[in-house]
Amino acid sequence: MKTWDLIRTANRNLFRNKLRTTLTVLAIFVGSFTLTMTNGVGDGMRDYVESQIKNIEGDRVAMVRKKIETPNGPSSGAAVEYKEGSDESDETAIDPNTVLLTQPQIESVVRDIPGIIGVTPRYSIRGEHISVEGSKKYKVELGMLSDGLVAKTETGKSIGGPNQIVLQIGLARALDEKIENLVGKTATVGYKIPDGSIKTVDLTVTGVMTKGFMTNNNSFVSSDVAKRMFEDQSVQAGPNRFLGFTIQMDSSDPTKIEAIKKRLDEKGFEAETVADTQQRTYDAIGIFKTGMNLFAMVALLAASFGIINTLVIAVLERTKEIGLQKALGMGRGKIFAIFSLESVLIGFWGAFLGAVGAIVTGLVANQIFVKFYARSFEGFSLFAFKPISITAIMLLVCGIAFVAGVMPALRASQLNPIESLRYE
Amino acid sequence: MLEAQSLSKTYKSDGVDYEALKDVDLSVRRGECIAIVGKSGSGKSTLMHLLACLDAPTNGSVLIDGRDTSAFSERAKNSLRNEKFGFVFQQFFLNGRDTVFENVVLPMRIRGASNAEIKTETNAALTAVGLDDKINKKAKDLSGGEKQRVCIARALVGKPEVIFADEPTGNLDSNTGAAVEELLFDLNHEQGITLVVVTHDADLAGRCDRVIEMKDGRIVADLLKEVTAQ
Repeated sequence: MKTWDLIRTANRNLFRNKLRTTLTVLAIFVGSFTLTMTNGVGDGMRDYVESQIKNIEGDRVAMVRKKIETPNGPSSGAAVEYKEGSDESDETAIDPNTVLLTQPQIESVVRDIPGIIGVTPRYSIRGEHISVEGSKKYKVELGMLSDGLVAKTETGKSIGGPNQIVLQIGLARALDEKIENLVGKTATVGYKIPDGSIKTVDLTVTGVMTKGFMTNNNSFVSSDVAKRMFEDQSVQAGPNRFLGFTIQMDSSDPTKIEAIKKRLDEKGFEAETVADTQQRTYDAIGIFKTGMNLFAMVALLAASFGIINTLVIAVLERTKEIGLQKALGMGRGKIFAIFSLESVLIGFWGAFLGAVGAIVTGLVANQIFVKFYARSFEGFSLFAFKPISITAIMLLVCGIAFVAGVMPALRASQLNPIESLRYE
Repeated sequence: MLEAQSLSKTYKSDGVDYEALKDVDLSVRRGECIAIVGKSGSGKSTLMHLLACLDAPTNGSVLIDGRDTSAFSERAKNSLRNEKFGFVFQQFFLNGRDTVFENVVLPMRIRGASNAEIKTETNAALTAVGLDDKINKKAKDLSGGEKQRVCIARALVGKPEVIFADEPTGNLDSNTGAAVEELLFDLNHEQGITLVVVTHDADLAGRCDRVIEMKDGRIVADLLKEVTAQ
């Protein structure tokens, strides 16, 4: 029998009992619908998060901090012997009980690691207000854009030199409706110093950042500005200590970065690149998505028993017909193929209708969602349907249907023709 | 062309062996019209099934054109049945919801024939049984006699060398039964198709060239008529 004849025969067999086929397809439909929806939510989330975390890039930069080592770590609560003058005698000696380090200490750590070309502390700074060339003053939240990191911008470009600022989009819109006008202008930033007075600094606006939650609501200043402001704002006695540092590397080659991370790890430091942070977020979403999909898989599993049931009954009903086909020379393989195809066709129709139903539902849900929550989640689609995901789901459902059909199809193919012809 | 050599078949049912066929030898010549008669349980159907390669013997062998079929693979047996044999059963085994055409075409489809071939062969077969005008009717809308003629057309399609008919008139009244008989004998005479009929109808058997009578799994009589009644 030709393949096309097999498919035609299988399809015709299915339509012989429309009600039964429809009900079985419906069960698969529910599973496929659910899977498409859960997967769509996961993809929607990933897309949104991707658009959000991609607003800071930099492939030659890593954030470094000291690892918290548990038996002697600060959180262990164990008593630690005090050593007289241990800190003062050598400014680069590192106290194992603290994660806060001075710049000379961190410099001594990275000095002998090849591939690291620079290290900067991550200065935390607080801004007070901002105005652009005589505009109203607005409150401002500031962050430091480490050298080597690039902020994605709506207009203008990221920071590329000293005394520069890249503005958060909401703030920029308040300062000027046409945000492109801000680029190149001088922003006056005020910040509080320990004596309570406010100091100002003039910075060039290089651009306006794309929205994203990795950057909170910060506007970013260049590292030189951050350093000056930090020193002005610092109330610490003695040398400043920092929790985190940014290292600049001479290569974006992942194997070289891995080697640097390994060296740092041996010295008790952990390093995380932008890509690592993104990956961690994707992993979390991946776990969420898998969890959701598992529920849908349960529905599909239940539906696959429906397929088995349908086909087992069909084999019984068609015992004589199978007997005749075998008597007339149809081989086991072809009989198996017909029943398998019926099974896969049930799966295909269920998957197809489920996917279509889910896409329609999802698109409607997206519209409703946009109406209610668009303000807080700009650019967020609740459901994202990607052709590749839909194809994968359909293939998966057809695969499950095929597996469900194996047992009945084998039964059919192994029937004895004479006994089948006599079957009542 | 068909030869049974010391053929025996033992069935097991509920752990008890049942010998359906005991050491049967038989030779069927090409173009012959042969009836296998006997009471139910005499082994006549079993003999036909073995000759038609629908079942494998416990002992002995079936030779087709001198070749031992016990050495055949399942695939070879399948294509042998598909290409050289045609089958007519007491129960019609038609698919009522399908058209006459679709029912007749089945052996050709199984064979994987081309559409053109299917069309000409099916038309020829239906013309031979006088049902070419019913080609697009649903099989369930036909009378009993017409249904059996569809079955004969299905056996005939694709030019078999042997037609095995298992109680072909068993489900028909005497008039339509006679017409079906006529048709089968015509095929035998005019197209030279070997006919193997299993029946307990003495009239039908009486019209065959040769009558094999079976009892308790053995051939008890083999009557060859020298002159066939025209």
